[in-house]
Amino acid sequence: MEVNELVQSKAERGFKYALLAPAVIWIVGLTFVPILAAIRYSFANYALGEGITAYVGFSNYARLLTDGSFWYSLYITLIYVLVTVPIEVCVGFVLAWIITIGVPGSKYFRPILTAPLFTMEVAIGYLGVTLFTDQGGLYSTILGALGIHIEWLSTAAGGLGAAMILDIWIWTPFVFLMSLATLGAIPSDIFDAAMLEASSHWQVFRHVAIPLAWPVLTIAILLRVLEGFKAFGLPYALTSGGPGTSTQLFSVMADLTTIQFTDFGRGSAMGILYLIMVSIVITFFFKQMRKRIN
Amino acid sequence: MDNLLWRSSKWASKMIAMVIVCLALCWVIVPFLWAIGNSIKTHTDVFRRGAIIPFLQFTPTLDSWKEVLGDPQTLNCLFSSTLVGVGTTALVLLIGTPAAYSLARFEFKRMKSKDITLWFLSQRVMPPVVVLSPFYILLAEIGMIDTWTGLILLYSTFNLAFCVVIMRDIFRDVSKEVEEAARMEGASLWQIFWMIALPLSLDGLIVTAFIVFAFCWNEALFASAVTSQHAATMPTLILASRSTRGVDFSSAGVNTILAIAPPVILSFFVQRYLARGLSFGAVKG
Repeated sequence: MEVNELVQSKAERGFKYALLAPAVIWIVGLTFVPILAAIRYSFANYALGEGITAYVGFSNYARLLTDGSFWYSLYITLIYVLVTVPIEVCVGFVLAWIITIGVPGSKYFRPILTAPLFTMEVAIGYLGVTLFTDQGGLYSTILGALGIHIEWLSTAAGGLGAAMILDIWIWTPFVFLMSLATLGAIPSDIFDAAMLEASSHWQVFRHVAIPLAWPVLTIAILLRVLEGFKAFGLPYALTSGGPGTSTQLFSVMADLTTIQFTDFGRGSAMGILYLIMVSIVITFFFKQMRKRIN
Repeated sequence: MDNLLWRSSKWASKMIAMVIVCLALCWVIVPFLWAIGNSIKTHTDVFRRGAIIPFLQFTPTLDSWKEVLGDPQTLNCLFSSTLVGVGTTALVLLIGTPAAYSLARFEFKRMKSKDITLWFLSQRVMPPVVVLSPFYILLAEIGMIDTWTGLILLYSTFNLAFCVVIMRDIFRDVSKEVEEAARMEGASLWQIFWMIALPLSLDGLIVTAFIVFAFCWNEALFASAVTSQHAATMPTLILASRSTRGVDFSSAGVNTILAIAPPVILSFFVQRYLARGLSFGAVKG
C-alpha cells in the first residue's frame, strides 16, 4: 500500500511539473529575459544590423528625464486615464444596475451594450476622424446644432477630448460587464429585503449595491487604469500624435521613438522608466487579486 | 432575476431608468451605423456637411466595397489576421491549459500554486511598450520581421499568462469528487485531465479562446511595429492607409467594418463567463 502511494505520488509529481514547465519556460524566456535585455539596451546605443555599438551609462535616462516632451507625454497619459476611468466606472456601474433591476427588454440589451468592447481600436480611431471632423462629422454637426463649436482634430485639447470620448465608448462596456456579473451574483432577496426597509431606490443603490459590488469594482477600476496606461491604437489612429506632438500619449511616443526612429536605447529606457512608474498601480492590483484568487 | 425592485420603484425612477438605457443604446449603436454609412459614401460625401441619412442626403454606392474587396492586399490582411489569431489561440491553449490544470489541482514544493498564478498574472499587466525594443531586436536577429510565425510568437507570449490564470480559475470549479471517482476506476492522471476536466470546462475554454483571438485580431502596437507587407494584419493595413493613400476614408470605412465585425459578432455567442474571463477570475459568474 505504501509503495503504491509512493509510486502514485511520484507519477503525480512528474505529471504536474510536465504540465506546468512549458508555460513557465515560455514566460521566463520571452518576458523576463526580454525585460533584462531591455535594461541592458537602455544603457547602450543599439544600431540595427550592428548590435550594441557603445555602452553609454545613464545617458539615455538622463536625456529622457531632462526632455520636456517625455514629461509632457506622461502628463497627458495621466490626464487621459484620470478622465476616462472614473466616467467609465460610473456610467458602466449605473447601467449595470439598471439592467439588473430589470428594465423591460434588459435581456437583449446586454450583448448590444457590450459590443464596443471587442472593436478594433485603430478602426475606431479612423471612424472617429469622420465623426469629429468639422467637415460634416456627425458629432461635430450635432454639437454644432446645439451651439457647441469645438476644434476637435486641430488642437491638442480637442484631439485628446475626442480620443477620450471614443475610449469611453469602447471601455465603458468593460465595467458594465464586470458590474453586471457581480450584481447578478448577489441573491436578489438581498435587494428585495433592502427595498422593503429602505425609503427610496437611491438608498438601496447607495447603501446595498455599491458596498456589495465594491471588491470587484476595485479590481475593474485597477484593470482599467492599467489598460488605460497602455492606450495606443485609438489615439494614434485618431490624431497620429498631432498636431505636432501634442497628443502623443506615452505608448505612441515610445512606438515612434523605437520603431520609426529606431532609437532602441532610448526606447528601452522609456519602457523601463514607465514600468517603474506603473508598478505602483500594479502593486495595488496585486494586493486586491491576492484576496480574490483562491 | 425577480423584478420586485422594478415593480416597487416609483414611476419617475422607472422613466429615468428607461431614458438612460435608451440613451446608452443610441450612444453604442450610432458609431456602428456611421461606419456602415461611411462605407457606402463616395469620398467627397464622407467630408460633406449634411450627408447623414442615405438616399435622402446622399446617394449610397457600393464602389468602395467593390474596390476594397477587389484589392488583394485587403484579402491578404484579412487572411493574416485570421491565421495569426487562430494560430496564437491554438498555441496558447495547447501550452497554457495544461499549466492551468496543474496549478488548479496540485501544490508545489517551493511556491504555493496561488503565488505561481500571480507570477503569471504579473506578466499580463505589464505595459507592452516595455518589451517593444527587445522583441523587435529579437525578431530582427532571427529574421522573423514581417512573418506570421514572428507575430504568433509575440502574441502567444502576451496571452499565455492570461490563459493560465483564467483556465486555472475555471478548472477549480470542476468537482474533485468526479476526478476522485475516475481515479478509483483506474483512470490515469492524463486521462482525468483530457477526458474529464477538459470537457467539463469547455465553456470556459471557448471564452478563453475568444478573448485571445479578439486580442490578436485587434492588437495594433506590435502588429504595426513588426509587420509591413507579407504578414500585415488588419490594424497594420488600417494604420498604413494614412501614409500611402493620404487616407481614402470611404475605403477606410469598408476596412473598418471588415475589421470590427468578426470579434463583435463572435462576442454575441460567448456571453457566458465573459466577465469572469476579462477579470482574470475575480468575478464569478
